[in-house]
Amino acid sequence: MKEPSLPFDHRPDPELGAALRAALEPGDPAAFVARVLARAEGRGGHATWEILARWARAGIAAAAAAALVAGFAMGRVMQSPTTLDDVMVASASAGANALLTSPRAPDASVVFTSLVERDR
Amino acid sequence: MRTDPPSQLPGGVARIPQGDEAELAARARAGDRAAFGTLVERFAAQARRVARAVLQNPDDADDAAQDAFLSALVKLDQYDPRRPFGPWLMRIVANAATDRRRRRAVRQTEPLAPELAGGASHPDHDAELRVLGERLRVALAQLPERRRLAVVLFDVEGYSHAEIADILGIPEGTARSEVFHARRALRVLLQDWKEEG
Repeated sequence: MKEPSLPFDHRPDPELGAALRAALEPGDPAAFVARVLARAEGRGGHATWEILARWARAGIAAAAAAALVAGFAMGRVMQSPTTLDDVMVASASAGANALLTSPRAPDASVVFTSLVERDR
Repeated sequence: MRTDPPSQLPGGVARIPQGDEAELAARARAGDRAAFGTLVERFAAQARRVARAVLQNPDDADDAAQDAFLSALVKLDQYDPRRPFGPWLMRIVANAATDRRRRRAVRQTEPLAPELAGGASHPDHDAELRVLGERLRVALAQLPERRRLAVVLFDVEGYSHAEIADILGIPEGTARSEVFHARRALRVLLQDWKEEG
């Protein structure tokens, strides 16, 4: 037993702590947990989960709205896709280079069509 | 001075590890019942002990602890995930227990059984521990509420003085003082019991 304790004693007293823990130890932990969870699922708890679900729905709606706004803004910034013909006309002597170095993405359908027709 | 909470509690019981509680709380807030269940399982014993430190009666304490968990579920949007979950929850538990005590007529502490009044022979070790436990509960009940909460949070649950100050809404120096005075009273009782043995 430590004697006497100072106000600055910042370490827990293992002996006193163990004795208090034993004195306050609750019974049947599983039953208590089940009881709390049942209550959370029960009539009162159902309302609780509904509140939480509403928060989640509100959060999803806000995120969707933000994504729409961001998408709209991106759409305004981006111009129509570059076609292979555009690139070839712009630089007939360096078509492949122009395609690869173009700052704008090529139209995938144009590239695909070109490949299919080449194979015929 | 802020003191670090111990990693090991009396009796070799590890302090509840912190880390994923913020994530569990976020999932529970989003409606994940399993996450809430994990939090309840993890903190149930601690919440019940803290509530019992206020209410003494174990049934009342369990009711208060249950109220606290349901209240915490509703208030999860108020939890700051950058801070540890335990002190936040224990504050709700302490408030729930205090509210319950105030709402209800204060139950009379059961009179101390003659064999607990001291000087009784101890037939076996288990009986001795039961006697000690009962004496400690009675001694705790005689302390001011804030003092018994402080000593239980510090010596049983391993919270630091700063965390206890946060839980109880008092200055850290006051938390330190409350722990000191509670320990002094309880250690006298513990010492007497050992000398009797």
